[in-house]
Amino acid sequence: MTIAADQWSTHFKETNDTNEELNAHGKFFTCSYLLDMETKKFLIQTHAGKIEKITIDPDPLDHYQFAIRASADTWRKFSQPTPPPMYHGIWAASFKRDMKLEGDLLVLMQNLRCITTQLELLRVVGVPV
Amino acid sequence: MPKAKISPVTGRYVTIEVDGDEYKVFYLENGTGQPIVCQHTAGCHNHQWRGLLEDEELTQNYRIIAYDLPRHGKSDPPLNREWWKEEYKLTADFYTKFIVTLCDALELERPIFMGSSFGGNVALQLALRYPDRFEAVIPVEAADYSPGFYLDWWHHPHANAAQVCASGVWDLMAPQSPDKDRWATWFYYSQGSEAFKGDLYFYSVDHDLRGKLDQIQGDKVKVVMLTGDYDYLTTPEDGRRTASQIKNAEFVEMVGIGHFPMSENHEVFRKYLKQALDMIRTAKA
Repeated sequence: MTIAADQWSTHFKETNDTNEELNAHGKFFTCSYLLDMETKKFLIQTHAGKIEKITIDPDPLDHYQFAIRASADTWRKFSQPTPPPMYHGIWAASFKRDMKLEGDLLVLMQNLRCITTQLELLRVVGVPV
Repeated sequence: MPKAKISPVTGRYVTIEVDGDEYKVFYLENGTGQPIVCQHTAGCHNHQWRGLLEDEELTQNYRIIAYDLPRHGKSDPPLNREWWKEEYKLTADFYTKFIVTLCDALELERPIFMGSSFGGNVALQLALRYPDRFEAVIPVEAADYSPGFYLDWWHHPHANAAQVCASGVWDLMAPQSPDKDRWATWFYYSQGSEAFKGDLYFYSVDHDLRGKLDQIQGDKVKVVMLTGDYDYLTTPEDGRRTASQIKNAEFVEMVGIGHFPMSENHEVFRKYLKQALDMIRTAKA
């Protein structure tokens, strides 16, 4: 069963904002990025480790710094509690599957630890695709 | 007063000379029997082998020696050269010569050599170049060729190199490996970021055994390759392909583990290592 996008957004934000690791290390985790899940897109705006805003299917001119794009199938596998090999991280899925990292990758690299942690929360909340 | 828990693992330094350069090399060891010389992964240090070094069963029959490559852990860069005036790029020539010189200095007779990642790749180089010097090699997470990881991101001055190196290799580990061990491996990687890129020059550029694997004398030096199914850099397919071209080589796919098996999940790794050591023992008999 696929969770509705608005419910997912609320759950993802709550899970992120109460995550102990991000609370401990996210002081400078401020950026905006697009999660492109093929059939749904989400613009995630993070400030000091908390999710400030999630825009569902943003408009074409909405600004973000980098994008992480993959098929809905890849995101579904990525978000399993124990993902299968090659779907277990953004590097693995970019090297070996259809994930693409685009835009200002310096911002991604500057926030790599927190982004990694934030995306692993998908294994708790699932994905809406 | 409760009795303190003192580990049987000991640490020592040995000074050796390679190509006219002097190195004070730090190594940990424990156990008795046939030596197994252990190489850590790129940008890391010998504490990755902590589980094996304290493995009560394996150290009954094997003398486990885990060293820090120069520029890693407690082994400094060369003592008698202005190393800071040149870019660090590890080469297969130096790497193999260093390992053999270290084994000679420790007076090891026909040891088994085991390394992971760039340590696995150098195990293949040792088998090719020094078939008379080693009883066997266990290349872990290795392949004939492993391009794609000699990246400028490891040294980008606008990013936190320690975090990029440590988090960049995070998903080389299997998600089911214990959190405490994955985080310990992350921690080791946050310590070695300056050497990481130069190590990867060997891993992704200088190491290339394509078309040469049939020259490895697998009847003299037994080759047993181990690769975890969560390794996206040197996949089980890469390991299988490599082993298939080496005479008498064996390949074992490790399930539920990634690129740093010895430090991310020793309990799973040791089962496969025992299998590899059995294969070596059988080949010897």
